[in-house]
Amino acid sequence: MTARVLGYAAGLALIGLGLRGIAADVPVGRWAAWFAGAAVLHDAVLVPLVLAAGLATGRLPGRFRRTVRAALVTAACVTAVALPLVLGYGRRADEPSRLPLPYGRNLAIVLAAIAVLAAAAAAASALAGRRKGRSR
Amino acid sequence: MVRRPAPLKAALPKPPRLLTTLPGRFTSRLHDERTASLLGVALGAALLVSFGTGLVSHFMQQPAGWMRWPSRPVNLYRVTQGVHVIGGLATVPLLLAKLWTVYPKLWQWPPVRSIGHAVQRLLVFVLVGAALFQFVTGVLNIAYWYPFRFFFTTAHYWTAYILAGALVVHVANEGAKARRAVMTRPQDAVGRRGFLLTVAAASGAVALTTAGEAATPLARLAVLAPRRPGTGPQDVPVNKSAAATGVTAAALDPGWRLTVTGRVAREVTLSLADLRALPQHTVRLPISCVEGWSVEADWHGVRLRDVLRLAGVDAGGAGRGARVRVESLERGGRYRASRVDPPHWHDPLTLLALGMNGAPLALDHGRPCRLIAPNRPGVMQTKWVHRLVVT
Repeated sequence: MTARVLGYAAGLALIGLGLRGIAADVPVGRWAAWFAGAAVLHDAVLVPLVLAAGLATGRLPGRFRRTVRAALVTAACVTAVALPLVLGYGRRADEPSRLPLPYGRNLAIVLAAIAVLAAAAAAASALAGRRKGRSR
Repeated sequence: MVRRPAPLKAALPKPPRLLTTLPGRFTSRLHDERTASLLGVALGAALLVSFGTGLVSHFMQQPAGWMRWPSRPVNLYRVTQGVHVIGGLATVPLLLAKLWTVYPKLWQWPPVRSIGHAVQRLLVFVLVGAALFQFVTGVLNIAYWYPFRFFFTTAHYWTAYILAGALVVHVANEGAKARRAVMTRPQDAVGRRGFLLTVAAASGAVALTTAGEAATPLARLAVLAPRRPGTGPQDVPVNKSAAATGVTAAALDPGWRLTVTGRVAREVTLSLADLRALPQHTVRLPISCVEGWSVEADWHGVRLRDVLRLAGVDAGGAGRGARVRVESLERGGRYRASRVDPPHWHDPLTLLALGMNGAPLALDHGRPCRLIAPNRPGVMQTKWVHRLVVT
């Protein structure tokens, strides 16, 4: 119980420190819009999309389902992190070493590599399954 | 006998069944305590590392009065900031997986059971909001994309405390439960291992395609990193160009002079030829950007302490505790000048570099003269230096 009280005290103090800094140094309204907006978009858009993908892949037979889902999760995470580079709004003509690569093409290559790995894994598991079926 | 007023509940229309039974409709067995706890432990550790390395970066750039950062190890900042940025990127899948695992709890019914429960849920919102805010702004910042109309650095810095505080409260609330869930051998046959391996694979894929911007041997794999070692003038990337800062004419002016002033025994003014006549040294040091990328280069030029000695400020004498403000030709801007504390200007590796990788400095790397020092953020390796002010 004491540990919990201490945790609350320390945590609330840190939150207070952060809020005080935000109030002093950052336009609060714009900051709050991004703070709450990120949570709302995540809960109302991103997760429902993931759930829909889960439903859509739910019809696949068991051993493919896991492989396909794993590939989709990995591909989606890589895409989420790389998207600002692909869009390239941060490019500047006078600083060519900033965002120097063809990110759209590179992302396509990475996604293709993930797809190939997933297909290989699915094929291997199908092969193993068939062999097991034959030996039985 | 006092008649109590009818409870408020009866006055409200009954909520639709879909809403009250929603949490039970998530059929995946991965939405369970053990998965959430395992992911939570890993995520908590990752956030702690991000917080710590972020504080290092902040206080190296804005040291409190009593702080003295050492100039060694040479690569300390390179490592802490590389871990902050690459590690932060690799944490994205972990955060998303954790939030997906506990998502049914968002729809718990009734939404609030008591005032205490309401406060707890508010603090969970603070935790989730702060975590997503840090990751979204961080990812956008390293892509130099600023759709938000606030200054990234201060917002990211202060929100870090909010995230850390909300995390401490969360651990106080859930720590015991999570420990039990992790330490108890599960009796079910839920396929957690596959899920956790998937999260690890996603983190690994993100790290593999970005880490090369900080670890040069992996540069060719860094296909989704905002920087590529070997790209840029003299094979080193540039953050701020001379054109963007408006220093081109002054930096190319043959009348350029370096002035040493402030609390000195004698003011000194040096031309480029004067600097070239001083003892020349070559050092191999990284340029380590706050955005996480870093590249080593061979810098040549004069030691900062040798130049200061000409003005009567001696690392072995009365002036050894002095601080030096290194000023750029830039007219304004947050990084126009930087402070060099004694551990750094005493260090023989700290140069006023005149060249890099065997050639005179390119204009965008700070021609005619720039600061390069060990264990120091890139934004403080001041370029286009023209004045040293001893304080």
